[in-house]
Parts: sequence; C-alpha cells; structure tokens
Amino acid sequence: MSASSDDRSSRRASARDVAVWDPLVRLIHWSLALTILLNGAILEEESNLHEWVGYAALGLVGIRLVWAIIGPQYARFTAFPPSPARAISYARSVLSGDKTVHLSHNPLGAIMIYNLWLTVIGIGVTGYMMTTIRFFGIDWVEEAHELIFNWLILSVALHVAGVAFDSWRSGVNLVRAMVIGRKRVPQGTKLE
Amino acid sequence: MKRPKRIPKTKERRATALAGIIILQALCALFFIGDIITDFREGGHLDDLHLGLEALAAVVLIWGVMFLMVELRRLLARMGDMDAGLMVARGQMAEVMDRFFDDWNLTEAERDIAIMILKGLDNESIGQVRRTASGTVRAQATSIYSKSDTHGRAQFVSLFMEELMSGDFSAAGAPDDHQPHTTRASAHNLRAE
Repeated sequence: MSASSDDRSSRRASARDVAVWDPLVRLIHWSLALTILLNGAILEEESNLHEWVGYAALGLVGIRLVWAIIGPQYARFTAFPPSPARAISYARSVLSGDKTVHLSHNPLGAIMIYNLWLTVIGIGVTGYMMTTIRFFGIDWVEEAHELIFNWLILSVALHVAGVAFDSWRSGVNLVRAMVIGRKRVPQGTKLE
Repeated sequence: MKRPKRIPKTKERRATALAGIIILQALCALFFIGDIITDFREGGHLDDLHLGLEALAAVVLIWGVMFLMVELRRLLARMGDMDAGLMVARGQMAEVMDRFFDDWNLTEAERDIAIMILKGLDNESIGQVRRTASGTVRAQATSIYSKSDTHGRAQFVSLFMEELMSGDFSAAGAPDDHQPHTTRASAHNLRAE
C-alpha cells in the first residue's frame, strides 16, 4: 500500500516497550538500595535503628527470593539462572560486539544479583550474630561483618558500572526500566 | 492525542499498591517470627496465651502475604493479556481499514488522507503533512466521504468505531466472515431511522 502503511509498520517494528520489572521487584530493588545507603553511610553503626534497617534488608531479600519462585516470568530464577558458564560466554559475545538484549537480567548481571543477595544475607547474619550473647564482642564476627560490607560496596560500584555499560552498549536504559518497569528495546535488536 | 496506549493507569497503580502492602506485611510477619523465636529462647511455650496469639498473627500474616503475592501475579498476568489484546486489536484495525479502503476503491492519496482523518487531524494539518493546500485536502476528503457513502468526518470515523464495537471481531478467523459492507449496511439502517 502507500507510504503511510510503510510508515505504520515501521513504527510498529521500531522501539517497543516491554514490561519486564513488576512493581514488587522494583520496590524491593529501591528499598534494598535505600537500606544499604542508610546503614552504610547515614545511620550510626551501633544504633538500634541500624539493627532494624539491617533486618529489613534481610527481609527484603527474603521476599525477593520467594517472589523468584512464585512471581511472574521475568522475576523468576529460571529467567536468570546463576550460571558462570553462560556469564563467560556472554562476556565473550559482548566483547565481540554482539548486541543481544536480555529481557530479564543478562547472564553477567544475574551473577551480580546473586552476589548482592548473598552479600546482604552475609552482612545481615554476621550483624545479627553480634547482637547475640554467644558471639557478642568476638573479633572475627565483627571483622567479617565489615569485610563483607566492603565487598558489598565494591559489588554495588560494579553493579552500577555494569548497568551504565550495558545501557550504553545495548541502547536500553536500564535505570529507566527499573523505575517504570519497561525496557524500551531499540529497533532490530535480538531478544533473549 | 489521548488514547489508551498502555494498560490503564489505575491497574498499574493497583499493582504498585499491592506490591507495597506485600513488602510491609512481609516485614511485619518477619518481625513477629523473630519475636516468637526470641520468646521461645527465653522459655516461652505455645500454651502461653500471649505467645499463642503472636504465633497465630505470624501465621495469618504469612498466609496473607502469600495470598497477596498470588493476587499480584494474577493482576500482572491480566495486565499482560490486556496489552496483548490491545496489540491484536490494533493489528486487526489496520486490516479492517485496508479492507474498507479497498472496498471503496480509494486512491493512494485518499487512503493517506483517510488514515489521517481517522487519527484526528484536521484538513489544515493534513495539508501541512502532505504539503498540499487545505482546499485540495478538502476536495479529496469529500471524495472519500462520497465513496464511503458517509456525510462527513464524524460519520466516517463512526464507521470504524462501529466495527471496533461489533464484538466478535477479535475471534480467530473473524476477518474473513465479517465483511465491511455489513457495517455499512447497518450504517444505512441507522441513517434511515
């Protein structure tokens, strides 16, 4: 048909919005970021509030883990299995210029997500141990708590850098996706 | 132009509210569980009324959280279906439009203009888009109305509205047995009344 129909079909094929992050995933993500910011930079270390915010962080990870079992497609473990092999082959394909867009986490990002959850759990558990009579005042627990926290800061930095890099590489603004829930996938990109 | 491009905002807000409640309620449940564990450590028993009630509250809270999670999943699935439904409707609408235009033997230029009329552009804007005088557009529009046997813009647009509201057109295979003239016939009837 006429130019207008070409126009119409090309618009349909161009950048399309795909709903990937449901509101629960987004709320948990930003709440968890907030708890890390609060406990890492703002609240006093030995305050009561620090403890409660820590438990809240543990709780958030817990809810996310349950949601990864019963939640919708992209929130599930099956959408981003923890597979170092896939992460490595993904890293290779990125280096060779592949521009495939992953609707859930990309394989490298997935490894980071598991790392972040485990790290938060580690900090939470050692933090809790410090409040118990049995482990109170024991050096290695405190040291572990701080060491894992340093690891968390490093991980968060890598996470943010990864998000920036992948947004630049794939043309999908990942921060926007985590705020409004939809990935705007550019025209002609392969999806996975 | 205002149109329901995406899922209605209310549904999205509802999903967000549900997610917020899930988080708060789950954290409350965890608080109670922590409290119960501490109480047990300090030698409490389930037959203690206070502890029993707390345990009950924890169980009910967790039950509620699971229920809300399932509910949220359903809501999200429904929203996804609606999204898909809208896309299908839009795709079908394009087909319906094409068939109508073929039926009326519209020229290429008239098809273009008909689409823009349906999109709500006035003659002047159409002229600007097509780089022609609005008088030319008016003449072509008149030709479209006469070919489609309508009395003007409003009635022309309502032909398509009626097609959209006719119900069974989303069913598989519907385009084949649902010819444009049926709609036109009913439009005639309406005019006769």
